[in-house]
Amino acid sequence: MTLPPFRNEPVLELRRAPQRQLLLDALGALERELPLRVPVWIGDERREGEELRSTDPGEPERAVALAAQAGDADVERAVALARAAAPPWAATPAGERAAALLRTAALLRERRARLAALAVRECAKPWAEADADVCEAIDFVEYYARGALALEQTPPELLQVPGERNALAYRARGVVAVIAPWNFPLAIPLGMTCAALATGNAVVLKPAEQAPGCALELVRALREGGVPGEVIALLPGAGEAGAALVRHRDGATVAFTGSVAVGLEILAAAAAVPKGGAHLKRVVAELGGKNCVIVDADADLDDAVPGIVRSAFDYAGQKCSAASRVLVHEAVADALLERLAGAVDVLVVGQADTFGTAVPPVIERAAQERVARYAQLASSTGRVPTSAGPVPADGWFCAPVVACDLPADSPVLHEEIFGPLLAVERVTGVDAACDRVDELSYALTGGLYCRNPHTVERVVRRSPVGNLYVNRPVTGAMVGRQPFGGNRLSGTGSKAGGPDYLLHFVEPQVVTENTIRHGLVI
Amino acid sequence: MEAGTRQAGAELAAALPHGPRGPLRALDDRAMEFAAQDAELRAALFRFVDVVPACRSLDDLARHLTGFLDDVEQPPPSIAVAMRMGDSRAGRAALGAAAAAGVRRMAHRFIVGETPRAAHGVLRGLWEQGVASSVDLLGEATVTAAEADRYAARCAAALDDLAELYAPLPPRPLLERDAAGPTPRVNLSVKVSALTPLLRPDAPELGTRDAAVRLRGLLRRARELGAHLHIDMESFDSREAVSALVLELLGEPEFRDGPSAGVVLQAYLRESPELLEQILAWTTSVERSTPLTVRLVKGAYWDHEVVEARQHGWTPPVFEVKAQSDRNFEALTGALLEARPRLRIAIASHNLRSVAHAIAINRALGGAPQDVEFQVLRGLGDDLQRALAGTGHRVRTYCPVGDLVAGMAYLVRRLLENTSNESFLAEQAAGVPLDELLAAP
Repeated sequence: MTLPPFRNEPVLELRRAPQRQLLLDALGALERELPLRVPVWIGDERREGEELRSTDPGEPERAVALAAQAGDADVERAVALARAAAPPWAATPAGERAAALLRTAALLRERRARLAALAVRECAKPWAEADADVCEAIDFVEYYARGALALEQTPPELLQVPGERNALAYRARGVVAVIAPWNFPLAIPLGMTCAALATGNAVVLKPAEQAPGCALELVRALREGGVPGEVIALLPGAGEAGAALVRHRDGATVAFTGSVAVGLEILAAAAAVPKGGAHLKRVVAELGGKNCVIVDADADLDDAVPGIVRSAFDYAGQKCSAASRVLVHEAVADALLERLAGAVDVLVVGQADTFGTAVPPVIERAAQERVARYAQLASSTGRVPTSAGPVPADGWFCAPVVACDLPADSPVLHEEIFGPLLAVERVTGVDAACDRVDELSYALTGGLYCRNPHTVERVVRRSPVGNLYVNRPVTGAMVGRQPFGGNRLSGTGSKAGGPDYLLHFVEPQVVTENTIRHGLVI
Repeated sequence: MEAGTRQAGAELAAALPHGPRGPLRALDDRAMEFAAQDAELRAALFRFVDVVPACRSLDDLARHLTGFLDDVEQPPPSIAVAMRMGDSRAGRAALGAAAAAGVRRMAHRFIVGETPRAAHGVLRGLWEQGVASSVDLLGEATVTAAEADRYAARCAAALDDLAELYAPLPPRPLLERDAAGPTPRVNLSVKVSALTPLLRPDAPELGTRDAAVRLRGLLRRARELGAHLHIDMESFDSREAVSALVLELLGEPEFRDGPSAGVVLQAYLRESPELLEQILAWTTSVERSTPLTVRLVKGAYWDHEVVEARQHGWTPPVFEVKAQSDRNFEALTGALLEARPRLRIAIASHNLRSVAHAIAINRALGGAPQDVEFQVLRGLGDDLQRALAGTGHRVRTYCPVGDLVAGMAYLVRRLLENTSNESFLAEQAAGVPLDELLAAP
């Protein structure tokens, strides 16, 4: 089986009115179906329920999905079924697994407008971001299907000497627990799931409790595409279900994207081998960030200002890659700050379903309160040059904020806020900026605006981050182009959408066969 | 039409200034000679020009220059000298000063002055040679409301200033009247992207609404002064917003009797024929006492459009083969000239063939010379401007005004455009025979 080379799924050309209309129509159609009902879905068994409710962050009274909540018994059944179904799935040729995944990708493509609309409603992703999320989901499927095929068809070559035959092959690890976040409610759960499925593992998916509706659509597409139901269980639920899944004796791998706090718990829990357990569990974790953008004195502020604003405030800053600190050379600090504050003041805070909205509501009340606490801290211990105009009353809206003149030990500068708050600090130069970046325990993304090639080289050498962006925004990594993932506490160094990601889901096996019989090589 | 085009082309060619002065003389000769030699050098030069205004000292300038030149694998001897100068502080000061002077010299050939007042001498000189102007205020990108307000205020002040400049100048009948009536002396080009920080490709109404407030103010001022306001077209991302804004405002009853105003049609856009249809439909749906002017251009954002489309996996909105743009330009020229007197037409091209073709069509349709305007860019179209003015055509020169910081993006774009191998000016400078230059695209 050979496939055409991977190419990124094109995002919609939303600068054209008919493409925008397509999305608005899809939203209208979707709304007639809401709320979606999301079952605990294990093999042939669907158990519906209403214990879990996802709502529109811009209109919290509106239910988007009503979901059953998985309990310990569900986790038990799901893992048992996955464990039984994993060996036949692993024995299925990679080409057949890839074919099922590519059919899934085709279904997602057909349903792209509906899926984007669902992300708009359930997670308040503005249209362009929601559409990009769908495209990234498709990209992951296409990319990993090809990657798994290549892994099977062309494993690395080993040295061969007369009389022996050496072969390296990658085998599926077994049951993979996928624990997904809400901020990329389609791309991230599907990416982790497809990496596991493509390489022959069975998946138990525990989506974010804020986004069960999106997860249901993904699992439907996988099953309709031909992935056996036995290898893709859906367990909507809260943190406890995820924790039970992580601790389960028969899980081999945990793929997690989320906060550092939960990530560290997972790493600790996964390290303990339960009685009778047969795996040293592997954890693939993509965690948080405290992402800094360095602006040198020679930066083109015409580019830097819009780039930083996008990086920090698109989707209300709710991306692990989002910029949250700017370290600017003192020579241009005043100019940058003035323009940045002015640019933030004109950002449209509004509903995700309205084209032009830059800052939608944050995901839930707790997030709104958290952002408000940091904003309060910033204005009481520093200076806030943005005007923080009024925001819609209903919904979890936060005014976008730029803060400066904060004390060096301010939590605003060191903790992940995950909201529309950007701190600006004045530095004497890029080396001082690099020192501050180096003090952080996070190392996910970083940005640099600078036009001196020697300085760029120096900053590249000194940057601990997993993804460094030069003279462009720090968000928007593309599958195959910017394999994404952080270092230090930001992640286990796996790169989603990159050439070595699948290696985390397999274990290598080397077979050496003696080919000498009676002194002859046969 | 071919015969008419060749004849008009030959007339123009004969009127082009002769001798060693070619159109690329406008660029710094030494720099362009290097740039033509090799792509790496060209990239280094552009990156340097781009960063000049952001450099804080001569030392800083020299460090940037040597940084860029490091990437050039086989530097010509003069570059090697520059690199050696970069090794010492004194050397860097000298190198920085020389480089800064070079860039300033280049900039001054394209930019007529730091302010409209500083440009008076040039603008008056043009008028005296029988050449009208359209002044364009260069500026940094508009990212805040305050910047949009400042740009609008600069535009309003420029209108006042230009009115004062042009009022006492002697009459130039060819430039001041056409079949549709009198045409203003004062002509200002404005950019919608500078009038609002809210241009969003997926929400054109956002930018339109915000820019409308400032543009209405400028339209009123232009009407009071009897000036012409031309709204430039920019990249495709803002196309819908700009079209909607201009047609909406000019259709408002308040502006029925003026000012004179214009829009731009970019022939490199695949959908430009449909855009022209929209404009024509608009002219029949609104009542205005002065016809809308349409400036026909090839389009200046070709690289941007193609790269952006490629990065997103889209079909570029522009023709990818230059000859397609050229053919479309000619087709649109015909359609536009036939749409008079509902529209006024300005043909903005440095391509001798495109210009000659427009002259031929105008003649064939029985138009007088003043019934079609030709527009050129200051610094690049100087020779064509002289030839057109010298042969009795109506010509207007687009004159950017602004400081070095603001002007650098404009300068880099002009440099890129005109060092590409496909550029008409480059072909002309390379001595391509007239017959080939005038061949149908």
